[in-house]
Amino acid sequence: MKIFHKISYRFPAVRVAAVAIMLTALASSCKKDFLVEAPELELPQEEAYTTPQRVDKVITGLYSSAKNGSLFGGRYQIYNDIRAEEYILRDPNNVTGADVFQATNDATNSYISSFWSVGYSTINRANLAIDGLTKNVAGLAPTVIDPALGEAKFIRALVYFQLVQIFAKPYVLDAGASRGLPLRLIPETTLANNALASSKVSEVYAQILKDLDEAEAQLPVTYTSALAKTTRAHKNTVIALKTRVYLTMANYAKVREEGNKIVPQASPFSTTVGAGHALASNVATLFVPPYTVSESIFSFPMAATNAPGTQNQLAYYYNSFSGANLIYPLNKNTPGIYADPLWPATDARKVAFTALFTGSGLTAQPVLKKYNTPSPWTDFVPMIRYAEVLLNVAEAEAAAGGNAVRARALLDAVRKRSDATYDFGTLSGTALTETILKERRIELLGEGFRYNDLARLNRALPAIGAAGQNITVADPRYTFPIPVNEKNTNPLVGD
Amino acid sequence: MKKLLQSLLVLLCIAQVAVAQNRTITGTVTSSQDGTPLPGATVKIRGAKTGTLTSADGKYSVSVPNASTTLEFSYIGFTLQTKAAGSSNIINVALVPDANELTEVVVTGYGNIQRKSFTGASSTVTSAQIANKPVQSFGQGLVGQATGVSIVQPNGLLNNPPVIRVRGLSSLSLSSFPLVVVDGIPVSTSNSSANSAANNPLGDINPEDIESIDILKDAASTAIYGSRGAAGVLIINTKKGKRGETRLTYDGWAGVSNAVRLPEVMNAGEYIAYKNQAIRNLKSVNPTAQVATDAEGNSFFPNLRGDGTAVDTDWNDVVYRQAFTQNHNVSLSSANDKTSYFISGGLSDQQGFLKGNNFKRYTGRANVAHQATSYLKLTMNMAYTNSFNQSPNSGSTDGGAFASSGLGRLAFALSPNLRPFNDDGSYNLNPTGGTIGNGSNLISSTWSNPAVLIERDRNTSETTRLIANLGAELKLAEGLVLKSSFSWDRGNTENYRFWNPLSGDGFSTTGSAYNNNNRRNNRNFINTLNYNKVFGGVHNISLIAGNEAQSTKVDDWGAQRTTLSDPFYTQFQGQFINNTAAGNGIDATALESYLAIANYNYDNKYFISGNFRRDGNSGFAAAKRWGNFGGGSLGWEVTKEGFFENSSLSSVISNLRLRASYGVVGNAAVGAYNYYTTYDPTLYGENGTGFVFNRAGNVDLGWETSKQTDVGINIGFLSNRFSLEVDYFNKNIDGLILAVPQAPSKGIPGGTIRSNVGSMYNRGFEFSLNAGIFRDTEFKWTSTLNFTSIKNMVTALDPQVEQILSSTSGLEQTSITKAGYSAAQIYGVRTNGINPANGQRIFVDRDGREIQYLHQSAGNGYTYVDNGAPAPSPAAQQQILGNTLPTWYGGFNNNMSYKNFDLSLNFTFSGGNYIYNGSRAGLLDQRFWNNLQEVVTNAWSPTNTSGTLPFPVYTDNVSNGSAFLISENIEKGDFLRLQSATLGYRLPKTIFGTSGISGLRVYGQVNNAFVITGYSGVDPEISSNGNSNLASGIERNSIPQGRVFTFGISLSL
Repeated sequence: MKIFHKISYRFPAVRVAAVAIMLTALASSCKKDFLVEAPELELPQEEAYTTPQRVDKVITGLYSSAKNGSLFGGRYQIYNDIRAEEYILRDPNNVTGADVFQATNDATNSYISSFWSVGYSTINRANLAIDGLTKNVAGLAPTVIDPALGEAKFIRALVYFQLVQIFAKPYVLDAGASRGLPLRLIPETTLANNALASSKVSEVYAQILKDLDEAEAQLPVTYTSALAKTTRAHKNTVIALKTRVYLTMANYAKVREEGNKIVPQASPFSTTVGAGHALASNVATLFVPPYTVSESIFSFPMAATNAPGTQNQLAYYYNSFSGANLIYPLNKNTPGIYADPLWPATDARKVAFTALFTGSGLTAQPVLKKYNTPSPWTDFVPMIRYAEVLLNVAEAEAAAGGNAVRARALLDAVRKRSDATYDFGTLSGTALTETILKERRIELLGEGFRYNDLARLNRALPAIGAAGQNITVADPRYTFPIPVNEKNTNPLVGD
Repeated sequence: MKKLLQSLLVLLCIAQVAVAQNRTITGTVTSSQDGTPLPGATVKIRGAKTGTLTSADGKYSVSVPNASTTLEFSYIGFTLQTKAAGSSNIINVALVPDANELTEVVVTGYGNIQRKSFTGASSTVTSAQIANKPVQSFGQGLVGQATGVSIVQPNGLLNNPPVIRVRGLSSLSLSSFPLVVVDGIPVSTSNSSANSAANNPLGDINPEDIESIDILKDAASTAIYGSRGAAGVLIINTKKGKRGETRLTYDGWAGVSNAVRLPEVMNAGEYIAYKNQAIRNLKSVNPTAQVATDAEGNSFFPNLRGDGTAVDTDWNDVVYRQAFTQNHNVSLSSANDKTSYFISGGLSDQQGFLKGNNFKRYTGRANVAHQATSYLKLTMNMAYTNSFNQSPNSGSTDGGAFASSGLGRLAFALSPNLRPFNDDGSYNLNPTGGTIGNGSNLISSTWSNPAVLIERDRNTSETTRLIANLGAELKLAEGLVLKSSFSWDRGNTENYRFWNPLSGDGFSTTGSAYNNNNRRNNRNFINTLNYNKVFGGVHNISLIAGNEAQSTKVDDWGAQRTTLSDPFYTQFQGQFINNTAAGNGIDATALESYLAIANYNYDNKYFISGNFRRDGNSGFAAAKRWGNFGGGSLGWEVTKEGFFENSSLSSVISNLRLRASYGVVGNAAVGAYNYYTTYDPTLYGENGTGFVFNRAGNVDLGWETSKQTDVGINIGFLSNRFSLEVDYFNKNIDGLILAVPQAPSKGIPGGTIRSNVGSMYNRGFEFSLNAGIFRDTEFKWTSTLNFTSIKNMVTALDPQVEQILSSTSGLEQTSITKAGYSAAQIYGVRTNGINPANGQRIFVDRDGREIQYLHQSAGNGYTYVDNGAPAPSPAAQQQILGNTLPTWYGGFNNNMSYKNFDLSLNFTFSGGNYIYNGSRAGLLDQRFWNNLQEVVTNAWSPTNTSGTLPFPVYTDNVSNGSAFLISENIEKGDFLRLQSATLGYRLPKTIFGTSGISGLRVYGQVNNAFVITGYSGVDPEISSNGNSNLASGIERNSIPQGRVFTFGISLSL
């Protein structure tokens, strides 16, 4: 029975086994945190509002969120500009807005859907910031909290304002009685609250103005660096935006009231209030580095390390230099503004911002070169310029109850900066207003104003992409449909 | 204990006495395939419990009682053969390889089990079925070999991960890819490439090193992998040394491959005429349309070369090639009583039929086992791989379908009257957009020049990987063994991407380079206590208890560089102006588990087994972290029953077994950090750094579990000459983790939050019929038919989520998942041909009303067919149009041999599904894109009113389905394919004399010989969305499959 001899190794073996089992235990269960793996590259939410430095980073993050290429980093401007008469299409690709140009875009367009969702994720981030700053669990000083709240409210108002113009009927159609947007004001981080009915357009505007008024009170008067003055909100930024919001509501008295805070009654039209703003003497200096002349009240900055992202860059769409795709050359025929006699070839804006391009199947085709920096596409995206504020006030002064003389003076100020000897001749009444509106088309070409300027006057879109049809406010194509993924998840959103 | 041993000894003595009275038969067992001896083959007297094994040279010696005794010869991977003892004392047997023959051992989790004791559901595939095929990973070789397992190769791009499904879709939001365990180590399986060169981690395992693959399908088998087993488990065992003389083998093959089933598009003459007509049509619809034409209204013209000939480019010639491919493998193996080893080295050098697509792999493996002492055994398996894949942007990897530089699309969309090179050999390019030069065409093509992309872009993904496993088995007492193994799977992938500044994706950034390093560290420590015992000769018990700890860390870093200072540079390291961080990340997960298994059988007649596992997963919050899984199974070997053995049936039915199992498994592929709500770093111009809310965590997220039932029967007829295995399975998946779409207006980053909602099932039948049609004659033919029918059904989603819409490459909405339907249905607008009166496409809205479309006409172009009144766009009138998951599939495999010749024919088939042929939408797009040749004769025109394609209006992208998905482009996906055909010849042994060569086989093989299908796209097995659960069955701009002819030799010494 020799085989039983083998039993003799039993004891050492058991000891070895015990050691082995203990080793496993060490590797896993006994080590209590074996199953705890925390992110090493992401900041837990609880840490976000604990120091002044982190508060500043969260606010910086709001601007960064808003300047996403799907939103204000490019697509917002492009979607507004290509819907009317100023451009023709070279590359029929829905990714670069061909369906928007042709007015065939529908609720399934994933780029417009991303425009919507990036807008709302910026709003939610602002809501989170407002909530975190208001709770202020770390007990930070009001000098830290208040300006930050002001900036968060400015961002929230800016996004709501641009979304409501594109995705809802114009305020002026029925004083905001139509379906507006879901008005999300509390932070969302959980599965709850998908369904939320759209508020009326007027309610969205009321919230925008409430946020802007509060922001005006909380924001700093100015900043020290020129870069911050142009890229972060101060009191004047909000005032300037309010002139635009009231103009969109056709509330001309309020445009004048807000405008008067930063626009003198008479020439020279510049201000030393707050950050201080004046028209740049040479328009060509506006869209080149450092992009921070005082006329640029608010722009979204770009940098080599923080570029707009593929197929969002303004220059890539409009320009023709090597690397650009020239998707939308300027329309060289009427009714495009390029061919309008009101915009002579001598105008510095035509000289500086347009060029004729031949090649790739095009011959002497005008193109917009306001955005002129190739890869990595670091052109700042202008959002609010003093020139626009002057034209806003001019339009309000030209309206009933306004001062037509001041209106004309403001119009001249903008025109003569670029064409010193130009004379509009006698202008009054409707002609004055129409000339101011045309001046906006020249001055603000490629800056994302065209659709909104038509919509706030209930005017039809002269949609050259839709075979030159005039698309009226009543036409379903006039307003971008609410994206299908919102309708699928939020049954209350409305049509 | 003592008594038991004594009785065993008594039994042994009896056996000894019995044997003494018998006659001895000797002989050699060889493989019919190459004539090499089979060491370790089993030779058994029918009805006896024991048998003998052949020696190293395949020789055996066995005592038989009388001439009517039947001998059974079996060997893993070969068909069982029987011979009557007869009168001769020498019986030589040549076994016929057969994959699906019942092999003797099933490798299950944490142990092996005799197949006869196994009561779960599994399929086994052996080396012969996967070796020597022109594939990059074993997965591609598995196609059609295993019942219930569906394997789809998304396209012909080298090293593209196959889509493997065991008994259907196992999840909606998590991976449905099975767990892959190599020599006991769970290995990582996700694509590790960061560019257009696909990188399949399973390609790091040399197919030639694989001995067998056991695919565990039912929950009773997979439950021991607990939370990782829901999608099935592939257990791969690599080759080990076998007893006998040292064996040296060489396997080599070389071949050519070509793209097949390419779409037929117009030539230059047809293109010019057709497109100019489309422009005239546009002008007739809308005279104010903006389009550049000459005075005659033409926009497209012949382009002449310097020698006056007209350009007529077949862009397929620019993009595709005849590719050469070769593979070499050497192995050395041996084993004696103490030590066994298997050492191999492999080299694979494969070209893709897509130009610039090259795959190279070097592998080395050493598997060593050593019985150090009578109680201690040490094992080591170590494999080192270097694989290198290179591919230009094919547009065929997951998410790449709409890449404007995707070569698959460029090959058919580019204008044939344009050319890649100018007369002087320079690239033909436009000044804007870096696009193909448009010659005399007045409308510029905005496609890239593929010649530049192939020559100047560089996308590579190179992996070096060590998979090592050290193990020890310590025998504590008779039948009681402590097993411990530590394994390390360390993969390092370097992804290089260089985009040239001249044309394509690098144009807008004046050249761009992005390099990323992806390091995966996966450590696994398993300790089990195993107890095996036979009590009273009939009570077979096997128990396992143990624990396991696994930790995985994936570490990524990289950078992107743009604006090349000079086109001279072609590397990341060249001079660029701008540098940004890109592709950085750290992901850590841990899994801790405790497990127990119990198997019992009574006299190999009644079987019962059960297992339990408790898993903790770091991906869940503390309260939800732990989950319990387990399963059980029952089996009954009817043929062992006395009543059966005595019945007349026993002469016909040689094996009859009934099985049933039930189990609960989970899906652990949840990833890291699910419960944290966090902020990501960001930048704001040069204003410094910021934080943005970027992850909404869910602390309530818990395990997704799958409850699976399996009932099966195995029947063998006539000494198992014919055998049939039938299983019914029902996988109920509850608590499905869904990335629940949130209202975008909530502003949740990514738009979804993961939550346990929804349920789904897969139900179906599996049949596997094996037939030794001729097995004891000189002409041998074995045949296996496997067939699976399966029904997937989503039974519930979150109450807040009516449906989940998915898109292809984030751009085109193609798919819908909704309760009451199988997952990933095609979702689009129904069409009803064209209006024969005017050639306009007819769309059907949800109310059934017909709407026709004339591009660029008044209003939005849509009018009602019935009254001509303006109609709204039907784009949002999508309906569910067809299921994309095949409802039946299988394989039909035949192995034949005659004398020294062997022939195998492997067919695969699948069907019951629909495919969205999105490429066809592009092939009929009326922009400057080239079109299918059929438009020439088949487009409607006032003079061709019987045409079935819409009236061509230049720039119309709606009527063809480019703007939104239309039912016109949906086709049935049924097919039958001759997956591979191999003809081999084994050289007679006599010619080798004393050279030492023991076998030499030469063979020729064709892969993807033909496919019979009504599907008109490049291939019915296609997946533009890779492994996606929610957007399967989509073909969009993909390159096709290849047909490969190879010639090879197998040599053994």
